Amino acid sequence: MPDHIVSSYDTDLEDLRRSISEMGGIAEKMMTDASNALVRRDVPLAQAVIAADRRLDTLQREIEERAILLIARRQPMAIDLRETISAIRVSNDLERIGDLAKNVAKRVVAIAEQIQPQKIVIGVQHMSDLVQEQLKDVLDAYGSRDTKAALDVWERDGAIDALYNSLFRELLTYMMEDPRNISFCTHLLFCAKNIERIGDHTTNIAETIHYLVTGANSLAESDRPKNDASNYATVDLPLPGLGAGA
Amino acid sequence: MNAANGITSAQLTGRHKADENAPVRIAVKDLNFYYGSFHGLKSVNLDFHDRQVTALIGPSGCGKSTLLRTFNRIYSLYPDQRAEGQILLDGQNVLDAKVDLNELRSRIGMVFQKPTPFPMSIYDNVAFGLRLYEKLPKADLDVRVEESLRKAALWDEVKDKLKQSGMGLSGGQQQRLCIARTVAQRPEVILFDEPTSALDPISTGRIEELIEQLRSEFTIVIVTHNMQQAARISQFTAFMYLGELVEFGPTTRIFMNPEKRQTQDYITGRFG
Repeated sequence: MPDHIVSSYDTDLEDLRRSISEMGGIAEKMMTDASNALVRRDVPLAQAVIAADRRLDTLQREIEERAILLIARRQPMAIDLRETISAIRVSNDLERIGDLAKNVAKRVVAIAEQIQPQKIVIGVQHMSDLVQEQLKDVLDAYGSRDTKAALDVWERDGAIDALYNSLFRELLTYMMEDPRNISFCTHLLFCAKNIERIGDHTTNIAETIHYLVTGANSLAESDRPKNDASNYATVDLPLPGLGAGA
Repeated sequence: MNAANGITSAQLTGRHKADENAPVRIAVKDLNFYYGSFHGLKSVNLDFHDRQVTALIGPSGCGKSTLLRTFNRIYSLYPDQRAEGQILLDGQNVLDAKVDLNELRSRIGMVFQKPTPFPMSIYDNVAFGLRLYEKLPKADLDVRVEESLRKAALWDEVKDKLKQSGMGLSGGQQQRLCIARTVAQRPEVILFDEPTSALDPISTGRIEELIEQLRSEFTIVIVTHNMQQAARISQFTAFMYLGELVEFGPTTRIFMNPEKRQTQDYITGRFG
Protein backbone atom coordinates (compact mmCIF):
# COMPACT_ATOMS: atom_id res chain seq x y z
CA MET A 1 0.00 0.00 0.00
CA PRO A 2 1.42 3.45 -0.86
CA ASP A 3 2.42 5.76 1.96
CA HIS A 4 0.22 8.57 3.17
CA ILE A 5 0.88 12.01 1.75
CA VAL A 6 1.31 13.12 5.37
CA SER A 7 4.16 10.86 6.51
CA SER A 8 3.51 11.32 10.24
CA TYR A 9 0.18 9.56 9.65
CA ASP A 10 2.11 6.42 8.65
CA THR A 11 4.26 6.79 11.75
CA ASP A 12 1.15 6.99 13.96
CA LEU A 13 -0.31 3.80 12.49
CA GLU A 14 3.06 2.04 12.62
CA ASP A 15 3.38 2.96 16.32
CA LEU A 16 -0.01 1.39 17.00
CA ARG A 17 1.02 -1.79 15.20
CA ARG A 18 4.29 -1.98 17.08
CA SER A 19 2.60 -1.57 20.46
CA ILE A 20 0.06 -4.28 19.64
CA SER A 21 2.90 -6.55 18.68
CA GLU A 22 4.66 -5.84 21.98
CA MET A 23 1.42 -6.52 23.89
CA GLY A 24 1.00 -9.77 21.98
CA GLY A 25 4.49 -10.89 22.97
CA ILE A 26 3.89 -10.11 26.63
CA ALA A 27 0.44 -11.76 26.72
CA GLU A 28 1.78 -14.89 25.04
CA LYS A 29 4.66 -15.18 27.52
CA MET A 30 2.36 -14.57 30.50
CA MET A 31 0.03 -17.30 29.29
CA THR A 32 2.87 -19.81 28.76
CA ASP A 33 4.55 -18.95 32.05
CA ALA A 34 1.32 -19.16 34.03
CA SER A 35 0.65 -22.60 32.58
CA ASN A 36 4.19 -23.81 33.29
CA ALA A 37 4.06 -22.39 36.80
CA LEU A 38 0.86 -24.33 37.41
CA VAL A 39 2.26 -27.63 36.17
CA ARG A 40 5.64 -27.25 37.92
CA ARG A 41 4.28 -25.55 41.06
CA ASP A 42 6.77 -22.81 40.33
CA VAL A 43 5.88 -19.90 42.63
CA PRO A 44 8.66 -17.48 41.50
CA LEU A 45 7.56 -17.94 37.88
CA ALA A 46 3.95 -17.30 38.90
CA GLN A 47 5.05 -14.11 40.63
CA ALA A 48 6.87 -13.01 37.50
CA VAL A 49 3.59 -13.44 35.57
CA ILE A 50 1.76 -11.29 38.14
CA ALA A 51 4.41 -8.57 37.80
CA ALA A 52 4.33 -8.61 33.97
CA ASP A 53 0.67 -7.63 33.89
CA ARG A 54 1.46 -4.02 34.77
CA ARG A 55 3.33 -3.39 31.50
CA LEU A 56 0.43 -4.90 29.55
CA ASP A 57 -2.05 -2.56 31.26
CA THR A 58 0.16 0.44 30.52
CA LEU A 59 0.46 -0.50 26.85
CA GLN A 60 -3.28 -0.97 26.55
CA ARG A 61 -3.95 2.50 27.94
CA GLU A 62 -1.33 3.99 25.63
CA ILE A 63 -2.79 2.32 22.57
CA GLU A 64 -6.28 3.49 23.44
CA GLU A 65 -5.09 7.05 23.99
CA ARG A 66 -3.07 7.11 20.78
CA ALA A 67 -5.96 5.65 18.77
CA ILE A 68 -8.33 8.29 20.13
CA LEU A 69 -5.86 11.05 19.27
CA LEU A 70 -5.40 9.60 15.80
CA ILE A 71 -9.16 9.64 15.21
CA ALA A 72 -9.39 13.22 16.49
CA ARG A 73 -6.44 14.49 14.48
CA ARG A 74 -6.71 12.61 11.22
CA GLN A 75 -10.31 11.39 10.87
CA PRO A 76 -9.16 8.08 9.41
CA MET A 77 -11.19 6.51 6.60
CA ALA A 78 -11.61 2.97 5.25
CA ILE A 79 -8.60 0.73 5.99
CA ASP A 80 -7.03 3.35 8.29
CA LEU A 81 -10.21 3.61 10.35
CA ARG A 82 -10.51 -0.17 10.56
CA GLU A 83 -6.85 -0.39 11.52
CA THR A 84 -7.36 2.10 14.35
CA ILE A 85 -10.54 0.50 15.64
CA SER A 86 -8.92 -2.94 15.42
CA ALA A 87 -5.96 -1.74 17.48
CA ILE A 88 -8.37 -0.65 20.24
CA ARG A 89 -10.25 -3.95 20.13
CA VAL A 90 -7.19 -6.21 20.02
CA SER A 91 -5.42 -4.31 22.80
CA ASN A 92 -8.52 -4.78 24.97
CA ASP A 93 -8.52 -8.51 24.30
CA LEU A 94 -4.80 -8.80 25.02
CA GLU A 95 -5.20 -6.83 28.24
CA ARG A 96 -7.95 -9.22 29.34
CA ILE A 97 -5.80 -12.21 28.39
CA GLY A 98 -3.09 -10.78 30.65
CA ASP A 99 -5.58 -10.43 33.52
CA LEU A 100 -6.71 -14.02 33.12
CA ALA A 101 -3.13 -15.34 33.00
CA LYS A 102 -2.37 -13.26 36.09
CA ASN A 103 -5.33 -14.81 37.87
CA VAL A 104 -4.04 -18.30 37.05
CA ALA A 105 -0.64 -17.27 38.45
CA LYS A 106 -2.23 -16.01 41.68
CA ARG A 107 -3.94 -19.36 42.14
CA VAL A 108 -0.63 -21.16 41.57
CA VAL A 109 0.70 -19.23 44.57
CA ALA A 110 -2.42 -20.07 46.60
CA ILE A 111 -2.37 -23.84 45.98
CA ALA A 112 1.41 -24.33 45.99
CA GLU A 113 1.41 -25.98 49.42
CA GLN A 114 -1.55 -28.28 48.81
CA ILE A 115 -1.59 -31.88 47.70
CA GLN A 116 -1.99 -31.86 43.96
CA PRO A 117 -3.12 -34.95 42.08
CA GLN A 118 -0.82 -34.46 39.09
CA LYS A 119 -3.09 -36.33 36.69
CA ILE A 120 -5.77 -33.65 36.98
CA VAL A 121 -3.24 -30.92 36.30
CA ILE A 122 -2.26 -32.73 33.10
CA GLY A 123 -5.79 -32.19 31.73
CA VAL A 124 -5.56 -28.46 32.36
CA GLN A 125 -2.10 -28.39 30.83
CA HIS A 126 -3.38 -30.04 27.67
CA MET A 127 -6.09 -27.42 27.32
CA SER A 128 -3.58 -24.68 28.04
CA ASP A 129 -1.30 -26.00 25.27
CA LEU A 130 -4.16 -25.75 22.79
CA VAL A 131 -5.00 -22.20 23.87
CA GLN A 132 -1.35 -21.14 23.70
CA GLU A 133 -1.24 -22.38 20.13
CA GLN A 134 -4.44 -20.47 19.37
CA LEU A 135 -2.97 -17.29 20.81
CA LYS A 136 0.26 -17.65 18.87
CA ASP A 137 -1.59 -18.37 15.62
CA VAL A 138 -4.01 -15.48 16.01
CA LEU A 139 -1.18 -13.03 16.75
CA ASP A 140 0.67 -14.25 13.67
CA ALA A 141 -2.54 -13.85 11.66
CA TYR A 142 -2.90 -10.30 12.96
CA GLY A 143 0.67 -9.47 11.98
CA SER A 144 0.26 -10.85 8.48
CA ARG A 145 -3.39 -9.76 8.04
CA ASP A 146 -4.24 -13.38 7.25
CA THR A 147 -8.01 -13.93 7.36
CA LYS A 148 -7.69 -17.61 6.47
CA ALA A 149 -5.44 -18.27 9.47
CA ALA A 150 -7.77 -16.18 11.65
CA LEU A 151 -10.75 -18.26 10.52
CA ASP A 152 -8.85 -21.45 11.44
CA VAL A 153 -8.31 -20.15 14.97
CA TRP A 154 -11.94 -19.11 15.21
CA GLU A 155 -13.17 -22.57 14.21
CA ARG A 156 -10.83 -24.44 16.56
CA ASP A 157 -12.28 -22.81 19.67
CA GLY A 158 -15.02 -25.42 19.79
CA ALA A 159 -12.48 -28.11 20.68
CA ILE A 160 -11.29 -26.05 23.65
CA ASP A 161 -14.82 -25.58 24.91
CA ALA A 162 -15.39 -29.32 24.68
CA LEU A 163 -12.21 -30.00 26.61
CA TYR A 164 -13.20 -27.52 29.30
CA ASN A 165 -16.54 -29.24 29.64
CA SER A 166 -14.94 -32.63 30.24
CA LEU A 167 -12.44 -31.10 32.72
CA PHE A 168 -15.34 -29.55 34.58
CA ARG A 169 -16.99 -32.94 35.03
CA GLU A 170 -13.72 -34.58 35.95
CA LEU A 171 -12.95 -32.02 38.65
CA LEU A 172 -16.45 -32.34 40.14
CA THR A 173 -15.92 -36.06 40.36
CA TYR A 174 -12.60 -35.65 42.20
CA MET A 175 -14.22 -33.30 44.67
CA MET A 176 -16.92 -35.85 45.42
CA GLU A 177 -14.42 -38.64 45.81
CA ASP A 178 -12.52 -36.85 48.55
CA PRO A 179 -13.51 -33.55 50.18
CA ARG A 180 -9.80 -32.80 50.73
CA ASN A 181 -9.58 -32.25 46.97
CA ILE A 182 -12.20 -29.51 47.01
CA SER A 183 -9.97 -26.50 47.68
CA PHE A 184 -7.38 -27.53 45.14
CA CYS A 185 -9.90 -28.62 42.53
CA THR A 186 -11.87 -25.39 42.86
CA HIS A 187 -8.74 -23.36 42.19
CA LEU A 188 -7.91 -25.62 39.29
CA LEU A 189 -11.43 -25.23 37.94
CA PHE A 190 -11.01 -21.45 37.95
CA CYS A 191 -7.65 -21.86 36.22
CA ALA A 192 -9.30 -23.99 33.56
CA LYS A 193 -12.10 -21.47 33.17
CA ASN A 194 -9.58 -18.62 32.84
CA ILE A 195 -7.69 -20.51 30.16
CA GLU A 196 -10.93 -21.24 28.34
CA ARG A 197 -11.75 -17.50 28.50
CA ILE A 198 -8.35 -16.71 27.00
CA GLY A 199 -9.40 -18.98 24.14
CA ASP A 200 -12.55 -16.85 23.72
CA HIS A 201 -10.43 -13.71 23.50
CA THR A 202 -8.34 -15.28 20.74
CA THR A 203 -11.54 -15.81 18.76
CA ASN A 204 -12.44 -12.16 19.37
CA ILE A 205 -9.09 -11.21 17.87
CA ALA A 206 -9.77 -13.55 14.94
CA GLU A 207 -13.07 -11.73 14.35
CA THR A 208 -11.28 -8.39 14.47
CA ILE A 209 -8.74 -9.58 11.88
CA HIS A 210 -11.61 -10.55 9.60
CA TYR A 211 -13.15 -7.10 10.07
CA LEU A 212 -9.81 -5.36 9.58
CA VAL A 213 -9.09 -7.09 6.28
CA THR A 214 -12.54 -7.41 4.74
CA GLY A 215 -14.45 -4.53 6.36
CA ALA A 216 -17.22 -6.98 7.21
CA ASN A 217 -18.39 -7.98 10.67
CA SER A 218 -19.89 -11.13 9.19
CA LEU A 219 -17.67 -13.46 11.23
CA ALA A 220 -18.69 -11.82 14.50
CA GLU A 221 -22.34 -11.94 13.44
CA SER A 222 -22.34 -15.63 12.57
CA ASP A 223 -22.52 -18.41 15.12
CA ARG A 224 -19.26 -19.85 16.29
CA PRO A 225 -19.25 -23.58 17.02
CA LYS A 226 -19.72 -23.74 20.80
CA ASN A 227 -19.13 -26.92 22.72
CA ASP A 228 -19.14 -25.62 26.26
CA ALA A 229 -21.99 -27.48 27.89
CA SER A 230 -20.66 -26.95 31.42
CA ASN A 231 -23.31 -24.29 32.06
CA TYR A 232 -25.80 -27.12 32.16
CA ALA A 233 -23.58 -29.87 33.60
CA THR A 234 -24.10 -31.50 36.96
CA VAL A 235 -22.67 -34.61 38.53
CA ASP A 236 -25.00 -36.37 40.96
CA LEU A 237 -23.62 -37.28 44.34
CA PRO A 238 -24.50 -40.93 45.10
CA LEU A 239 -26.27 -40.44 48.46
CA PRO A 240 -26.10 -43.40 50.87
CA GLY A 241 -29.44 -45.03 51.51
CA LEU A 242 -30.93 -44.09 48.17
CA GLY A 243 -31.06 -47.19 46.11
CA ALA A 244 -31.25 -47.29 42.35
CA GLY A 245 -34.94 -48.02 42.51
CA ALA A 246 -35.79 -45.24 44.99
CA MET B 1 -27.72 -7.58 5.65
CA ASN B 2 -25.35 -7.38 2.77
CA ALA B 3 -22.30 -8.99 4.28
CA ALA B 4 -20.58 -9.34 0.93
CA ASN B 5 -20.34 -5.57 0.66
CA GLY B 6 -19.17 -5.26 4.22
CA ILE B 7 -22.29 -3.37 5.16
CA THR B 8 -23.80 -4.37 8.44
CA SER B 9 -27.14 -3.55 9.91
CA ALA B 10 -25.57 -0.88 12.12
CA GLN B 11 -24.30 1.08 9.16
CA LEU B 12 -27.61 0.93 7.40
CA THR B 13 -29.79 2.64 9.93
CA GLY B 14 -30.99 6.18 10.39
CA ARG B 15 -30.51 9.06 8.06
CA HIS B 16 -27.28 7.70 6.63
CA LYS B 17 -29.11 4.80 5.09
CA ALA B 18 -28.83 4.85 1.32
CA ASP B 19 -32.16 4.05 -0.31
CA GLU B 20 -31.11 2.09 -3.37
CA ASN B 21 -34.73 1.51 -4.27
CA ALA B 22 -35.46 5.22 -4.50
CA PRO B 23 -36.51 6.12 -8.04
CA VAL B 24 -33.77 7.40 -10.34
CA ARG B 25 -34.17 11.15 -10.80
CA ILE B 26 -31.18 11.72 -13.07
CA ALA B 27 -29.67 8.97 -15.19
CA VAL B 28 -26.34 9.77 -16.81
CA LYS B 29 -25.72 7.51 -19.79
CA ASP B 30 -22.40 7.22 -21.59
CA LEU B 31 -21.62 10.89 -21.03
CA ASN B 32 -18.54 12.39 -22.67
CA PHE B 33 -17.49 15.97 -22.27
CA TYR B 34 -14.96 18.02 -24.18
CA TYR B 35 -13.26 21.33 -23.42
CA GLY B 36 -12.16 21.98 -27.00
CA SER B 37 -9.91 18.99 -27.67
CA PHE B 38 -9.53 18.04 -23.99
CA HIS B 39 -11.60 15.01 -23.07
CA GLY B 40 -12.97 16.06 -19.64
CA LEU B 41 -15.47 13.27 -18.97
CA LYS B 42 -15.02 9.77 -20.32
CA SER B 43 -18.09 7.56 -20.78
CA VAL B 44 -19.64 8.30 -17.42
CA ASN B 45 -22.65 6.20 -16.41
CA LEU B 46 -24.30 7.07 -13.14
CA ASP B 47 -27.76 7.16 -11.52
CA PHE B 48 -28.85 9.81 -9.03
CA HIS B 49 -31.63 8.69 -6.73
CA ASP B 50 -34.62 10.76 -5.74
CA ARG B 51 -34.40 12.57 -2.38
CA GLN B 52 -30.94 11.28 -1.70
CA VAL B 53 -27.76 13.28 -1.35
CA THR B 54 -25.07 12.12 -3.76
CA ALA B 55 -21.55 13.39 -3.16
CA LEU B 56 -19.03 13.67 -5.99
CA ILE B 57 -15.47 13.38 -4.74
CA GLY B 58 -12.08 13.24 -6.39
CA PRO B 59 -8.89 15.25 -6.79
CA SER B 60 -8.89 18.62 -8.57
CA GLY B 61 -9.43 18.26 -12.29
CA CYS B 62 -11.07 14.81 -12.03
CA GLY B 63 -14.26 16.03 -13.70
CA LYS B 64 -16.65 16.23 -10.76
CA SER B 65 -17.50 19.91 -11.27
CA THR B 66 -17.66 19.30 -15.01
CA LEU B 67 -20.23 16.58 -14.42
CA LEU B 68 -22.24 18.92 -12.21
CA ARG B 69 -22.10 21.64 -14.86
CA THR B 70 -23.56 19.37 -17.51
CA PHE B 71 -26.79 18.79 -15.60
CA ASN B 72 -28.14 22.30 -16.13
CA ARG B 73 -25.99 22.95 -19.20
CA ILE B 74 -24.18 25.86 -17.61
CA TYR B 75 -21.27 24.86 -19.85
CA SER B 76 -23.19 25.95 -22.95
CA LEU B 77 -22.26 29.54 -22.08
CA TYR B 78 -18.82 28.64 -23.45
CA PRO B 79 -18.64 28.02 -27.20
CA ASP B 80 -15.94 25.31 -27.38
CA GLN B 81 -17.41 23.07 -24.68
CA ARG B 82 -19.66 20.23 -25.66
CA ALA B 83 -21.30 17.16 -24.13
CA GLU B 84 -22.17 13.86 -25.83
CA GLY B 85 -24.35 11.11 -24.47
CA GLN B 86 -27.48 11.40 -22.39
CA ILE B 87 -28.53 12.97 -19.12
CA LEU B 88 -32.07 11.84 -18.46
CA LEU B 89 -34.03 13.99 -16.03
CA ASP B 90 -37.20 12.01 -15.34
CA GLY B 91 -36.56 10.25 -18.64
CA GLN B 92 -36.04 13.40 -20.71
CA ASN B 93 -32.59 14.03 -22.18
CA VAL B 94 -31.54 17.48 -20.96
CA LEU B 95 -28.75 17.60 -23.57
CA ASP B 96 -31.37 17.62 -26.30
CA ALA B 97 -31.21 20.97 -28.15
CA LYS B 98 -35.00 21.24 -27.92
CA VAL B 99 -34.91 21.51 -24.13
CA ASP B 100 -35.64 25.04 -22.97
CA LEU B 101 -32.64 26.19 -20.92
CA ASN B 102 -34.60 28.51 -18.66
CA GLU B 103 -37.08 25.80 -17.82
CA LEU B 104 -34.24 23.31 -17.29
CA ARG B 105 -32.48 25.65 -14.87
CA SER B 106 -35.64 26.22 -12.89
CA ARG B 107 -35.89 22.45 -12.50
CA ILE B 108 -32.21 22.01 -11.66
CA GLY B 109 -30.96 24.73 -9.33
CA MET B 110 -27.33 25.37 -8.52
CA VAL B 111 -25.40 26.81 -5.59
CA PHE B 112 -21.77 27.79 -6.08
CA GLN B 113 -18.61 27.77 -4.01
CA LYS B 114 -18.57 31.52 -3.43
CA PRO B 115 -21.88 33.00 -2.34
CA THR B 116 -23.34 34.92 -5.28
CA PRO B 117 -26.06 37.23 -3.94
CA PHE B 118 -27.30 39.84 -6.41
CA PRO B 119 -26.64 43.48 -5.50
CA MET B 120 -30.22 44.05 -4.37
CA SER B 121 -32.33 43.55 -1.25
CA ILE B 122 -32.66 40.21 0.51
CA TYR B 123 -36.31 40.05 -0.55
CA ASP B 124 -35.53 40.85 -4.18
CA ASN B 125 -32.76 38.26 -4.27
CA VAL B 126 -35.24 35.52 -3.42
CA ALA B 127 -38.05 36.99 -5.55
CA PHE B 128 -35.79 37.48 -8.56
CA GLY B 129 -36.50 34.24 -10.39
CA LEU B 130 -40.15 34.23 -9.36
CA ARG B 131 -40.71 37.67 -10.89
CA LEU B 132 -38.98 36.50 -14.04
CA TYR B 133 -40.94 33.30 -14.65
CA GLU B 134 -44.08 33.45 -12.54
CA LYS B 135 -46.43 36.40 -12.45
CA LEU B 136 -47.52 36.20 -8.84
CA PRO B 137 -49.66 38.70 -6.93
CA LYS B 138 -47.70 40.53 -4.25
CA ALA B 139 -49.26 38.54 -1.40
CA ASP B 140 -48.37 35.23 -3.04
CA LEU B 141 -44.88 36.46 -3.74
CA ASP B 142 -44.47 37.37 -0.07
CA VAL B 143 -45.55 33.85 0.89
CA ARG B 144 -43.07 32.24 -1.50
CA VAL B 145 -40.21 34.44 -0.32
CA GLU B 146 -40.92 33.64 3.32
CA GLU B 147 -41.34 29.94 2.57
CA SER B 148 -38.03 29.88 0.71
CA LEU B 149 -36.13 31.75 3.40
CA ARG B 150 -37.58 29.40 6.00
CA LYS B 151 -36.48 26.35 4.00
CA ALA B 152 -33.01 27.88 3.78
CA ALA B 153 -33.01 28.32 7.59
CA LEU B 154 -32.48 32.07 7.14
CA TRP B 155 -35.92 33.55 7.87
CA ASP B 156 -35.45 34.19 11.58
CA GLU B 157 -32.20 36.03 10.94
CA VAL B 158 -33.46 38.30 8.14
CA LYS B 159 -37.23 38.70 8.61
CA ASP B 160 -36.79 42.21 10.06
CA LYS B 161 -34.43 43.44 7.36
CA LEU B 162 -35.81 42.07 4.12
CA LYS B 163 -35.30 45.43 2.42
CA GLN B 164 -31.62 45.55 3.29
CA SER B 165 -29.00 44.52 0.75
CA GLY B 166 -28.12 40.85 0.48
CA MET B 167 -24.49 41.88 0.16
CA GLY B 168 -24.51 43.01 3.81
CA LEU B 169 -25.03 39.50 5.16
CA SER B 170 -22.23 37.28 6.47
CA GLY B 171 -20.69 34.70 4.13
CA GLY B 172 -22.72 31.85 5.61
CA GLN B 173 -25.94 33.89 5.47
CA GLN B 174 -25.21 34.89 1.87
CA GLN B 175 -24.81 31.22 1.00
CA ARG B 176 -28.15 30.39 2.63
CA LEU B 177 -29.68 33.35 0.74
CA CYS B 178 -28.45 31.77 -2.49
CA ILE B 179 -30.00 28.47 -1.39
CA ALA B 180 -33.28 30.31 -0.65
CA ARG B 181 -33.14 31.86 -4.13
CA THR B 182 -32.66 28.39 -5.64
CA VAL B 183 -35.36 26.79 -3.50
CA ALA B 184 -37.84 29.55 -4.46
CA GLN B 185 -37.97 28.13 -8.00
CA ARG B 186 -39.22 24.83 -6.53
CA PRO B 187 -36.62 22.83 -8.45
CA GLU B 188 -36.47 19.03 -8.48
CA VAL B 189 -32.71 18.85 -8.18
CA ILE B 190 -30.24 21.12 -6.38
CA LEU B 191 -26.58 21.05 -7.36
CA PHE B 192 -24.04 22.24 -4.80
CA ASP B 193 -20.53 22.99 -6.02
CA GLU B 194 -18.31 23.06 -2.91
CA PRO B 195 -20.91 25.13 -1.05
CA THR B 196 -18.98 25.41 2.22
CA SER B 197 -15.35 25.69 1.17
CA ALA B 198 -15.41 29.45 1.74
CA LEU B 199 -17.24 29.22 5.07
CA ASP B 200 -16.23 28.89 8.73
CA PRO B 201 -17.08 25.67 10.63
CA ILE B 202 -20.26 27.06 12.19
CA SER B 203 -21.68 28.30 8.89
CA THR B 204 -20.56 25.00 7.35
CA GLY B 205 -22.51 23.12 10.02
CA ARG B 206 -25.63 25.18 9.26
CA ILE B 207 -25.38 24.45 5.53
CA GLU B 208 -24.87 20.73 6.21
CA GLU B 209 -27.89 20.70 8.51
CA LEU B 210 -29.85 22.50 5.82
CA ILE B 211 -28.85 20.05 3.10
CA GLU B 212 -30.10 17.22 5.31
CA GLN B 213 -33.45 19.00 5.67
CA LEU B 214 -33.70 19.85 1.96
CA ARG B 215 -33.23 16.17 1.15
CA SER B 216 -36.83 15.45 2.17
CA GLU B 217 -37.96 17.49 -0.84
CA PHE B 218 -35.15 17.62 -3.38
CA THR B 219 -32.62 15.39 -5.06
CA ILE B 220 -29.24 16.76 -4.11
CA VAL B 221 -25.86 16.46 -5.78
CA ILE B 222 -22.86 17.96 -4.00
CA VAL B 223 -19.26 18.35 -5.07
CA THR B 224 -16.95 18.56 -2.09
CA HIS B 225 -13.25 18.34 -1.35
CA ASN B 226 -13.99 17.66 2.28
CA MET B 227 -14.07 13.90 2.65
CA GLN B 228 -15.62 13.98 6.10
CA GLN B 229 -18.35 16.26 4.80
CA ALA B 230 -19.17 13.79 2.04
CA ALA B 231 -19.23 11.00 4.63
CA ARG B 232 -21.47 13.02 6.96
CA ILE B 233 -24.13 14.34 4.64
CA SER B 234 -24.48 12.02 1.66
CA GLN B 235 -26.24 8.71 1.16
CA PHE B 236 -24.35 7.91 -2.06
CA THR B 237 -20.82 8.77 -3.09
CA ALA B 238 -19.18 8.75 -6.51
CA PHE B 239 -15.40 8.84 -6.76
CA MET B 240 -14.01 10.27 -9.99
CA TYR B 241 -10.49 10.36 -11.30
CA LEU B 242 -9.07 11.71 -14.57
CA GLY B 243 -12.51 12.19 -16.06
CA GLU B 244 -13.70 8.70 -15.26
CA LEU B 245 -16.14 7.40 -12.70
CA VAL B 246 -14.02 5.01 -10.64
CA GLU B 247 -16.50 3.87 -8.03
CA PHE B 248 -20.06 4.60 -7.00
CA GLY B 249 -22.06 3.22 -4.10
CA PRO B 250 -23.66 3.82 -0.71
CA THR B 251 -21.55 6.31 1.23
CA THR B 252 -21.07 3.99 4.21
CA ARG B 253 -19.49 1.40 1.98
CA ILE B 254 -17.34 3.83 0.02
CA PHE B 255 -15.85 5.30 3.19
CA MET B 256 -15.60 2.13 5.29
CA ASN B 257 -14.75 -0.44 2.68
CA PRO B 258 -14.25 0.79 -0.89
CA GLU B 259 -13.89 -1.83 -3.59
CA LYS B 260 -11.37 -0.03 -5.77
CA ARG B 261 -7.80 0.56 -4.78
CA GLN B 262 -7.80 4.10 -6.23
CA THR B 263 -10.81 5.04 -4.10
CA GLN B 264 -9.16 3.71 -0.96
CA ASP B 265 -5.90 5.54 -1.70
CA TYR B 266 -7.74 8.81 -2.28
CA ILE B 267 -10.04 8.78 0.74
CA THR B 268 -7.26 7.67 3.09
CA GLY B 269 -4.92 10.40 1.85
CA ARG B 270 -2.50 8.13 0.04
CA PHE B 271 -2.94 9.56 -3.43
CA GLY B 272 0.38 10.23 -5.13
